[in-house]
Amino acid sequence: MIYLDNYRSAVIAREAWEAMRVVALEQYAVPAPFTQCGTGSAELVENAQKRLASFIGAEQNEVVFTASGTEAINIAIQGAVKARRLDQPEIVTSEIEYPATLAVCKALEKEGVKTRIIGVDGDGFYKLDQLESAINEHTAVVSLMGVNHMIGTVEPIAEAGRIVDESSKRLGRKIPFHVDYASALQSVRLSVDDARVDLASFSSNKIHGPKGVGALYVRRGTRVTPLSFGSESYSPLVPGTPNTMGIAGFDKAVDLLSATFEMDVTHMRALRDRLAVGIRDRIPYILLNGPDGDGRAAPHLCYSFLFIEGEAVMMFLDMEGIVVDTGSACAAATLKPNYILMAIGRNHEQAHGSIRFTLSRYTTEAEIDMTLDKLVPIVERLRAQSTIRPPVPQGG
Amino acid sequence: MAIKYTTKVIEHFKNPHNIGIIENADACATEGSPACGDEITVYLKINKETDRIEDVKFQSYGCASNIATGSIITDLAKGKTVDEAEAITWKQAAEELGGLPPVKMHCSVLAVDGLRSAIRKYKRDVKGIDYDSSLDVKTITEELRHVLYPPVGADIITLKMVKYIGIDDGAVRVEVSISSDDKFLDPTIDEIVEHVGRMSGVKSVHVENV
Repeated sequence: MIYLDNYRSAVIAREAWEAMRVVALEQYAVPAPFTQCGTGSAELVENAQKRLASFIGAEQNEVVFTASGTEAINIAIQGAVKARRLDQPEIVTSEIEYPATLAVCKALEKEGVKTRIIGVDGDGFYKLDQLESAINEHTAVVSLMGVNHMIGTVEPIAEAGRIVDESSKRLGRKIPFHVDYASALQSVRLSVDDARVDLASFSSNKIHGPKGVGALYVRRGTRVTPLSFGSESYSPLVPGTPNTMGIAGFDKAVDLLSATFEMDVTHMRALRDRLAVGIRDRIPYILLNGPDGDGRAAPHLCYSFLFIEGEAVMMFLDMEGIVVDTGSACAAATLKPNYILMAIGRNHEQAHGSIRFTLSRYTTEAEIDMTLDKLVPIVERLRAQSTIRPPVPQGG
Repeated sequence: MAIKYTTKVIEHFKNPHNIGIIENADACATEGSPACGDEITVYLKINKETDRIEDVKFQSYGCASNIATGSIITDLAKGKTVDEAEAITWKQAAEELGGLPPVKMHCSVLAVDGLRSAIRKYKRDVKGIDYDSSLDVKTITEELRHVLYPPVGADIITLKMVKYIGIDDGAVRVEVSISSDDKFLDPTIDEIVEHVGRMSGVKSVHVENV
């Protein structure tokens, strides 16, 4: 299988799997004081906190492990809103956030929390002038993302952080800034201080860790109300028995990520560019979704193939053992075209023809070449069958 | 629950029968639109003595099930008289494929609509048979039988989701009953607007969720 859907979920690294096996079968005690096995498990969680914290320039006790990136987003946004009992509270976010963020906002709207949406340009970059004007005395939290999962845009988080910080000073109170970093950790360095981030969400399975684990960074002093309650844990935000097996796997994935970060990014960018050049050279009538060049995350490519529909392309590639994703309405359970592609100005037809390729450190050059060799005839064949014809060139 | 295609859908998607164009077709019709995500064009070659479909081809802009349903309805229509082919239903087409996921059932409707439109053009243009094109509650109801509620894969008339149909000088009002947080609310309303909007005599369509 050639797996180019790593932004949905990546394969677990063998080393991470091995770390989990050890915890599952040998180091399975619940974190507890005094005993060898209990303190061993407690140290496992502490070391994992330390490693992720150090990777993002934070302190150990500013990191907690959640059950997923989605849970981290929930705790961050809901917890921040609930911690400040503001009159007519508002969340500031954008129209292209991950579904979890938008779903949390929608759920909170029913409780009277208003959502202020900032727009994006044609490449998916936040319109930061709108951020400045969206923040006011009602703002409970600002939630944006590091890298857009659908179009690969590396968002100007540090610039946004500066605006949130300055707005906080203007209003005379700290407005917490949450960044969904789930699709960014594998290719864009984060310094929580440089970006002035107060809350950040992470997902283990996007960086070759196991599914069922995420993490939340909470800057010291940031007030977040817990959403669930249970037996005592290392943090009130995540009560109950920690998922030490999952945390061990996530920790190993962070270890691998930090060890080869620059090399991996260079590798993924080179292969992504090889794929992009191959597509541009061999397939006419295409549209790049998201930015070109440095503004785009290294593992990410998303093209719309005009005059054909993306689910059919995805299905043909699937039959060749190549896994990709599409923003077509036909492939969505709701039959709606991808909202992010619509937000950057694509029309329905262009959104339907979109195919997203997301690479990983394990992607090889041979896999990229094979993907190109399979993709080109699939697009040609579907175009030959299509009711829509490319325009006839003028003047022969 | 896993949404999967049957082996037969995959076979017809991979190697569609009757794909292509008939030059000098006796009738040809296009249904759907690229904006909606699927479009099909059906071409017919008909023996005018016997009214039998001698050849049929189709083109498709759409997903795997769109291509597969185009393939199966052209197989079903070939060799039949135009009356027999006109009677092919979308349920029959879906059954021939071993079933379709409910959310994909509309592809079968589209394919059958494409075939029927081509047949009706032939009947009208070649045979001089006129269809009832009056705009009333009955004809709108019939048209709405082609609008499916995606999670169930059945039409909104059968599912009793349409509560009211009103017509005032070409302005059509349709009232439906769908939960306001139903994720299929918008796609269903879009489908109603598309289907009713293309009926002759319709100037505007307003759908209200009551």
